[in-house]
Amino acid sequence: MKFLKTALTMLFLASIVLTACGGSAATEAASGSATEAPAATEAPATEAAPASGGTVIIGTPQEPGMMNTLLTSSSIEDAVVSLFGEGLVSVNEKGEYVPVLAKELPTVSEDGLVVTWKLLEGVKWSDGSDFTCDDVKFTMEGALSDLSQVSASGYRDIESLDCPDPYTVVATFGEVYAPYLRLFSYTIPDTAGALEDMESWDMNRNSVGTGPFILTEWVPGDHLTFGRNPYYREQGKPYLDSVIIKILPSREVGMQLLGTGEIQALWDLTEANFPELQQLESQGVSYVSTVTGENELLSLNFGATDGTAPADPSTAPHPILYDLKVRQAIQYAIDKQKIVDTLLYGNVNAGNSAVPVGTFACPQPVSEFSLEKANALLDEAGWVVGADGIREKDGVRMSLKIATTTGNQLREQTEQVLAEMLKAAGIELVIENVPSDVLFAGWESDGMRDHGTYDIVMYTTGPSTDPDSHLYSSFHSSEIPTADNEGTGANFSRYINADVDAWLDEAGTITDTAARKELYCNVVKQVNVDLPRIYLYERLSIMGHRNEFHGLKISPTFVDFAWDSANWTLDQ
Amino acid sequence: MFIYFTRRVLQSIFTLLVISMILYGLISSVPGGIMSVYTERSDYTPEDLARIRAKFGLDDPIPVRYAKWLGSMLKGDMGNSLITKRPVLEEIADRLPNTLLLMSIMMVTTLLVAIPLGILSAVKQYTWFDHFTTTVAFAGQSLPVFWFGLLLIIVFAVTLKGGNGKPLLPGSGMYTLGADFSLADRIKHLILPVAMLTFVSAAGYMRYLRSSMLDVIHEDYVRTARAKGGSERLVIYKHALRNAIIPLVTLVALDLPSLFGGALFTETIFAWPGIGRLYFTAALKTDYPLVMAVLIIESALIIGSNLLVDFIYAMLDPRIRLS
Repeated sequence: MKFLKTALTMLFLASIVLTACGGSAATEAASGSATEAPAATEAPATEAAPASGGTVIIGTPQEPGMMNTLLTSSSIEDAVVSLFGEGLVSVNEKGEYVPVLAKELPTVSEDGLVVTWKLLEGVKWSDGSDFTCDDVKFTMEGALSDLSQVSASGYRDIESLDCPDPYTVVATFGEVYAPYLRLFSYTIPDTAGALEDMESWDMNRNSVGTGPFILTEWVPGDHLTFGRNPYYREQGKPYLDSVIIKILPSREVGMQLLGTGEIQALWDLTEANFPELQQLESQGVSYVSTVTGENELLSLNFGATDGTAPADPSTAPHPILYDLKVRQAIQYAIDKQKIVDTLLYGNVNAGNSAVPVGTFACPQPVSEFSLEKANALLDEAGWVVGADGIREKDGVRMSLKIATTTGNQLREQTEQVLAEMLKAAGIELVIENVPSDVLFAGWESDGMRDHGTYDIVMYTTGPSTDPDSHLYSSFHSSEIPTADNEGTGANFSRYINADVDAWLDEAGTITDTAARKELYCNVVKQVNVDLPRIYLYERLSIMGHRNEFHGLKISPTFVDFAWDSANWTLDQ
Repeated sequence: MFIYFTRRVLQSIFTLLVISMILYGLISSVPGGIMSVYTERSDYTPEDLARIRAKFGLDDPIPVRYAKWLGSMLKGDMGNSLITKRPVLEEIADRLPNTLLLMSIMMVTTLLVAIPLGILSAVKQYTWFDHFTTTVAFAGQSLPVFWFGLLLIIVFAVTLKGGNGKPLLPGSGMYTLGADFSLADRIKHLILPVAMLTFVSAAGYMRYLRSSMLDVIHEDYVRTARAKGGSERLVIYKHALRNAIIPLVTLVALDLPSLFGGALFTETIFAWPGIGRLYFTAALKTDYPLVMAVLIIESALIIGSNLLVDFIYAMLDPRIRLS
């Protein structure tokens, strides 16, 4: 029992030590070399530059945990990192790739196996060291290391990465990696430290980047202050003196602070905040919004819901939803425009495409709303209206469960509207919501989507700038989660279509953008025929801001709200 | 005496061990968990997920993970946060001063409110004053904390304006951003959270003191004191209160560990960067090591203070250690 006693003593000692070492809440993170930096921040007096100076406070309900992209896991971290971190390429507000630390978008050899980036010359990290090809190579090694928490897809396929000169990066792939444009959307300096010590790197809590700002103070649980990066490559920029990220208890508090002017911008609003934003207009508040490419959608389960998780749903079909006519009837019965007009105040587009925006956009007309057609299809399929108005067939009642994340008022209202709409066609929709980490749980945690223990789930998903991985994991037959593949993939509908498989396979092996776009568009159209998913409306990414704060542009990839922060200005 | 102490210490250690087992089991069986952050995203391949799962040590079964956790705990290593990668003790140390500030001020104001009100409502039993204070105290104990906190924010930080057109009191945070430290500013930020905590916890203490005062007032020695011609003030404060307050002191002593744990709802609602809020966000992100550390330290403190109270009782009253 002696060691237990030691443990208890240790605990008491620990608590005493903790009590004693107060007062050091603030982590001073100012870069040591900043003092001897060139005065790059003074704009030439002759040039009519926008008003310089000022501090912008941006509110967020979450706190970032980490400044090192390789170890981040949440969107607030990606968002904050974009104040100082840059990649070779980024995505602009139209969803198109633009070069950042590269002179131009990368070029690819004819066989699609060799990709070459030309880097900007003379770029310096915020610690004063030069940005070169070695840093790019280090970034790749970081992404591939055992400790990394980022996706290594793409980097894993690089056979060799060479630096013929400090400003040229040549990557040779073993097989064609179609979405090569998305690689190196972040960079890590090779001075960061050894890869095996990644979790204790100094830059985890001190920003080192090539972007306009650097972290100067981090008070855990309260705020992070970013000042100018003295080594930023553009003369006279950034215009702002500093940007403060303020951690708030909730969006609701953030809206109040935005109205009173205590913060200048509020991160990550949702469509449900529109009425409040309109109310705050008279107090000098506006918003910026953009489509994200994501859709609020219904995923319909083709397979049995008893947990068998069949690789092929025809062997264990869903008693109601496996029939295409039923799925078509459901889509006909849903008035998407009415949902948009009543619940979203007409501010978003009704959805009907898996890839609505960006370089690979394949917009589709909104599906028709027709109760007659819905009823006719169900009659045809043999579903007869019973005594209580709900259809039946062979003793099966047409009752479906719908699940979404709890605590989201907009989603709950949408479910109620859907239940009413489907009831008109004789389909009962039973609402059974679960917390988000239950809804999105993986295979090993008995996730309901992975194991197919659901009828309909409602959630948001969509492609990032390149739709390759999204479409493949959502609709390719090899991506149906089963016991054999340990729950790999996001084809939760258990949708199988040989044409779709072939198009996706082909699109992954070519690099020609126009050809890939056509193949992905084929997939989008076929999905709308077979209906594994019903797209309700296109999601927006929204940020509220005060009118005196200019230059906030959010890109459809959403996380990079600060991608253009060098050009932000504040009226004083 | 020695045997009694040893037995109580061993019992406490065993209790703590069982608590840690239950907590670890519960936290580890939360559905979803930290991996759901990654499984949700389509750009993570199975290889990526396997690597991250291994890195977080989630491949082992729960009993093995518990044994590993206990092993490093005994070596004094409470682990690193899964989110920030910093030692969890550093994370806690960052927040502790803020929590101690809030909770110790709250403790003082609570006692300042609870003791006089408790005495007065006992002495003036069944008067309108007694009915009023007990009703308000009952409300204080019954109100949902988060609802009351939001109410305070709406009234004092949104609706009511100060002289300069700005809200009367700040509704969140510890200080005004960008301003230099000033005591006035810090006090302004303390008013709402302290007011809320005081209202809720003073209610309990007040009702407790009132009932123990009522017991004591009817005791023979109080009547004797009156019979001897002592003034009412002397009788109440010297003879009655001194005896009536002993149970309250025990209660306060047992509540002291909560100074460490902070106030989860209050800190979350008022964006106070203390342990309660740290714990709340860690729980949301299923940051197991941090959640475990906060819970275990608080359990140890509660068990420790119970032990301390027992020892003091045992020293004062021989009957206890013999039974």
